[in-house]
Amino acid sequence: MEKPKILIVDDDPDLRRALKIRLRANHYDTVQASDGYSAISVAQKEKPSLIILDLGLPAGDGFVVLQRLQDSDALSSIPVIVLTARDPQSNEHKTLQAGATAFFQKPADNNELLDVIRATLPNAWPGTGAPS
Amino acid sequence: MNNGDTHVLLIEDNPGDADLVRLRLVEGDSAVSVSCVNRLEDGLASMTKQPPSVVLLDLNLPDSHGADTFRKVLEKAPGIPVVILSGQDDEVLAMKALHQGVQDYLVKGDITSHHLERVMRYAIERQALIRSLEMSRKQQLEFKNQFLSHVSHELRTPLTCIHQFVTILLDGLAGEVNTEQRYHLGTVLNSVNQLRAMIHDLLEATRAESGKIRIEPRCINIADLIQQAISMMAFTAKEKRVGLEVGLDTRIPFVYADPDRVLQVLINLIDNGIKFTPPDGSVMVKACMVEADPNMIYLSVSDTGRGIEPEAKTLIFERLYQDPNSIDNSRAGLGLGLFIAKELVELHGGRIWVASEIGNGSTFSFTLPLYSLPKLLFPLITHEGQLRDAVVLLTIELTPVSSTPRGNWKEICRQSLETLRRCVYLDKDLVLPVMGIVGTSETFFVAASTDVERATIMMNRIRGQLEAGAGFKGAGALKISATAVTLPSGEDARPLEDRVHAVADRITEMAMKALASKPSPGAANGDVSAATNKAEAN
Repeated sequence: MEKPKILIVDDDPDLRRALKIRLRANHYDTVQASDGYSAISVAQKEKPSLIILDLGLPAGDGFVVLQRLQDSDALSSIPVIVLTARDPQSNEHKTLQAGATAFFQKPADNNELLDVIRATLPNAWPGTGAPS
Repeated sequence: MNNGDTHVLLIEDNPGDADLVRLRLVEGDSAVSVSCVNRLEDGLASMTKQPPSVVLLDLNLPDSHGADTFRKVLEKAPGIPVVILSGQDDEVLAMKALHQGVQDYLVKGDITSHHLERVMRYAIERQALIRSLEMSRKQQLEFKNQFLSHVSHELRTPLTCIHQFVTILLDGLAGEVNTEQRYHLGTVLNSVNQLRAMIHDLLEATRAESGKIRIEPRCINIADLIQQAISMMAFTAKEKRVGLEVGLDTRIPFVYADPDRVLQVLINLIDNGIKFTPPDGSVMVKACMVEADPNMIYLSVSDTGRGIEPEAKTLIFERLYQDPNSIDNSRAGLGLGLFIAKELVELHGGRIWVASEIGNGSTFSFTLPLYSLPKLLFPLITHEGQLRDAVVLLTIELTPVSSTPRGNWKEICRQSLETLRRCVYLDKDLVLPVMGIVGTSETFFVAASTDVERATIMMNRIRGQLEAGAGFKGAGALKISATAVTLPSGEDARPLEDRVHAVADRITEMAMKALASKPSPGAANGDVSAATNKAEAN
């Protein structure tokens, strides 16, 4: 079975590299984008199973990306996990309203993040989620 | 005030003095309009209706005398300059007036029109200066808060990178790590976590200072919460060989507080206790009721550390206070923990204090309000001095499907509660304060002044509204039921209040039973169950 593909959107190349190592170790494929504009084009091209999205991005911040994903028939069903340095008190509610599946503040606990990824991709390899 | 005119409100009961002042004002060059009243009450009313540029105030009026007079005027409109025109040359009173915010104190006999005009002009100018100073102080505070919020955001980005790569190394994702390397990396990770906690505190303190912390009180079992705090701190305590003990009164009523915030306070105090207690000492967490204060619960965290100097006992709750005698000064933290704890406790309507003796440890105590259902129920289940005919307890249970993330679920629960509140009649039904800690499933209760039959209509309405709510579809299952509450019989001769108490106790008991019988997490996956409808025999 093919590994699920996760799109990492963050303007910090070091953090993208770290997430890639972490996700690969947990049997996920990754693709990357460094700004809001390319996030959409990479998503269209790669059809990821899940997107990890930063909020503070050049060329269209995270909220713009969420909006454009929601507006697109092809992309609106992809679950989005927001991973940002911004304050949850003023951003968590807003991102969930905008269509995100979950909100994490950086630095996030690796296990919690992976748990949510596994729960969000229930049929994913290596078959950790419950069949629905 | 129109066209830049000076509008003077003269509060003066002596017609001769009033005419004289009016004359002095009109003699001057500038455009002045004067309204004159002879009672303080009329003056205050006029200030609200049409705020004057300046108030000229006699102190001895038919309805007010002396310092009381200017105090009331200043209280009414702190932004309007006040000049006192007094018959007495009383320097002590004049000073007192200036200290409280009056702009000037003139003695009636000395006034010339030129003089009065100038005094008024300067008073207005000074008041405007004070206002702009106040504004810029507020702006500076706002700037400081924005700056701190910005800084803590920027600090998180590099910290995240360190955290990520240290955990990558520790987890062996970049190759084998030997024992010594693992030990060193563990130290780095500890420091990262400390830094993370400090950044969190920095933002939290800023929020507390600008009144931006919100609490969401629920009906909670404080013993559970203490147990949770203890288990969260067990590792830290064990590492330092400090014992952690709990002492609870046998019967502790429910508390009305925000569980996340109370946990934050407890963790903070326990962490401090451990920090300042030498190895082989102990930290004790207690909860008890105090006879003299029956509406509050008393919680305390005691340690066997070296205690606090008497002069530090009040300073310790201030921002940025750090113990100057701390043994491990390098890890003293930002000095924000107790400040935040104090703000959180006070937001709940409680207070926090410390008792300590050098050499004999410290005890930090705080109070939280108790949950009182009878008070909330009284207006709903009584009518013209009698209990209503029937009361029903609706149980609304929301269970998330396994893939719904916790953050999202909390939000759905919050929205559902708001929807629920809109579904009930405010004068006859009560959505009970939510009980327990936010868990996997969430249960809401409504006490409704109706019988089970009519409650069905209400249940359908609630179901329809909740299911239509944003985000709920696919995220959770909904179960609603109604149970009649046994009411004291008609012959019950007890006073109405006691009977309401009995109903409240019965409702609490029923709610507790419903919460206890909740299916274990995961068992209620998926399908939306139908409304069940049952009535209890007695």
